[in-house]
Amino acid sequence: MKAYSASDEEAIRAQALLKDWAGEGYITPAQREQMERETICTLRRTNIFLRLAAFGFTLLIIAAALGLFYLAFLERSTATTTGVFVMLFALACYAAAELAVSQAKLYRFGIEEAFAVCSVVLLCVGIFIAFDVYKGGPLLVRPKLVAPLIGSICSLWIWHRFGLPYALLGALLSAAWQTGYWVSTRTEQHIAVAAFFAIAQLSVIAMAPRYRHTYLHQKVSIAEALLWLGIYLACNLEISASHRSWLDWGGLHDEFPRPFYWSTWALIWCVPPVVILRGLRQKDKAVFAVGILSALLTLLTNKSYLGTQSNTWDPMILGALLIGVALAVRQWVSTGPGGVRYGFTAQRLSGTDKSLLDAGIAVSGLVSPHIQAPAPPAPSPEVRFGGGDSGGAGASSDF
Amino acid sequence: MTILNRLEQWKERGTISPAQHALLVGRVQEEPFSLFLELNILLYVGILAFILGLGWTVSTWSEQLGEVVVLVVLTTLFAACLGYCFSRAPAWSPAETPSPNLAFDYVLYLGCLVWSVELGYLEHRYELLSSQSDLYLLATAGVFFFLTYRFDNRFVLSLALTSLAAWCGLSLSRWPGQQTEEYRLYAILYSLLIATAGVTLQRRGLKPHFCTTYLNVAANVLFWALLSGIFQSQDYWVWCLALLAACGLSLAWGLPRRQFSFVAYAVLYGYIGLSASLFRLSSMRGTELLIFFFLTGTVVLVLLLFLARRFGREA
Repeated sequence: MKAYSASDEEAIRAQALLKDWAGEGYITPAQREQMERETICTLRRTNIFLRLAAFGFTLLIIAAALGLFYLAFLERSTATTTGVFVMLFALACYAAAELAVSQAKLYRFGIEEAFAVCSVVLLCVGIFIAFDVYKGGPLLVRPKLVAPLIGSICSLWIWHRFGLPYALLGALLSAAWQTGYWVSTRTEQHIAVAAFFAIAQLSVIAMAPRYRHTYLHQKVSIAEALLWLGIYLACNLEISASHRSWLDWGGLHDEFPRPFYWSTWALIWCVPPVVILRGLRQKDKAVFAVGILSALLTLLTNKSYLGTQSNTWDPMILGALLIGVALAVRQWVSTGPGGVRYGFTAQRLSGTDKSLLDAGIAVSGLVSPHIQAPAPPAPSPEVRFGGGDSGGAGASSDF
Repeated sequence: MTILNRLEQWKERGTISPAQHALLVGRVQEEPFSLFLELNILLYVGILAFILGLGWTVSTWSEQLGEVVVLVVLTTLFAACLGYCFSRAPAWSPAETPSPNLAFDYVLYLGCLVWSVELGYLEHRYELLSSQSDLYLLATAGVFFFLTYRFDNRFVLSLALTSLAAWCGLSLSRWPGQQTEEYRLYAILYSLLIATAGVTLQRRGLKPHFCTTYLNVAANVLFWALLSGIFQSQDYWVWCLALLAACGLSLAWGLPRRQFSFVAYAVLYGYIGLSASLFRLSSMRGTELLIFFFLTGTVVLVLLLFLARRFGREA
């Protein structure tokens, strides 16, 4: 049921590993050449820059075609007719994605990805428009419920068929969005979302060992990581229930009962260590990364949970803690025989890590704190000097 | 066939030695599990959090703490970071020099950020340079460039380039009757300056691996400046011609070297610029606009397919 054969996917994975190993000097260029001859893959691939450009321009073409079609045929139609035609357009996009894979043999090329993404988005939009007449009707035909429900299912299909990890993210977000329409309180909504993700997580964890060391390992790993993140965010009310937060899922804005509130506070301290340990035991970088991220979020939101005032030196304490932990872990593993302790090392073993680090350094120049133009003297303690504001994009001294 | 099966096969055929086989199987099975990337991210986030808190604390409590305490702490921190770096740095080499340890790059980065905080505080508190206060940005850029090349640190190179860019921006804002046109010209001068510097230093063999960073920053600043000319200037056709020339240069640089970020810049900025110029020239609306996007988008996509087929295998 997958668009790409297992042999092609394994060949792509093998080629990526061979390139990495040759770059690190584990194999010679001659060995790499010989081994690559045996990992032939007929799929057409490209680099990330051309992939992004192709994705963007395919979206542009689809949007323009849809707009032309609407102006030519649908401008005076009813909502139902328009919705049906948009859904047909979605079907055409899906067909184009399948053709791009089966005939043109495109793999992560941007073009088939754009068609696949548009098929889901346009299907949801079409349902929303077509079912608009039922928005006051029974729950099961309201567009705000039907569209995301169908969207979740189709996103899951796209993830399964084409292996696009962001399709899974879309499915999970869509699924979380809908729970607000099935329950009556925000408390129930958070419990429902966490329970749904937990059940899905149990299924993923159960099937993960089957795919270890195969090309599906990364797909399953990302799925597990996203589900852990979903469970954590469902538990962390300061992030997911905040009225200022973009993660706010709509629904009702009632107060949380105190036992529930404090239970979630306990959970946000318990979940990160579990995820980190799981990532380390399974040697799974994606899950490990989510564990670290959730631990950071817990530290950032703990004061809000407890209702205590943040101090200006809190970020310094957090920074010192992170630096201390990193250096302590590095020191601990490095003093093991050969720089390895209990199966962990601080050495760089993969060229992928170097590439990711280089990309991060390039971006860091944009988001680093920077000195700014001198401001007028500020006698009040509330006015911040802003040694961390401006100059770079995104930096803020708010914490 | 999984990679483990392939490795077994290659060992049996003698393509790889048993030692290589054992090593590569370990890599596939993540044994040992490398924490390199995660430790680097923790250090970076830690440094950022620390410096943000430091700046926030200084700005909020500087009057209560007193300028002596603030300056002593900042100077000590800066001196300690630089002292650590100078004491542990390997001998200077014009080629790429790896860091002596994991923390080295981040200690230097922290020192540079503390310098920024301290300099900003000094100017804020004493207004030493008054109307020429943007000169501290130029001085900072100079210090950062020196530290970049002494210690081979790309974090600090990014800081140096953004300091220099900020100096260009501030200088411009002080000119009476400042208009956008002059700012645009300074942005172009800045991009040409750092592009020339990057290529020259690469050709002279002075940290040639920094060249890509110089050129990426230069390309983005240049393209943004040219695009702003097309969108805002009366003589947009001049800026359009300049943009086309820049796109040609970007393609000529990127394609032979297989640096596809420059190809993407040329395609994306070129498309936006040409489209904007045509919109200003004509008065396309509604259906005409959509037809334009459909046709030109298709042409660009075909071009991308050609480039991908000819040059753009997975990098």
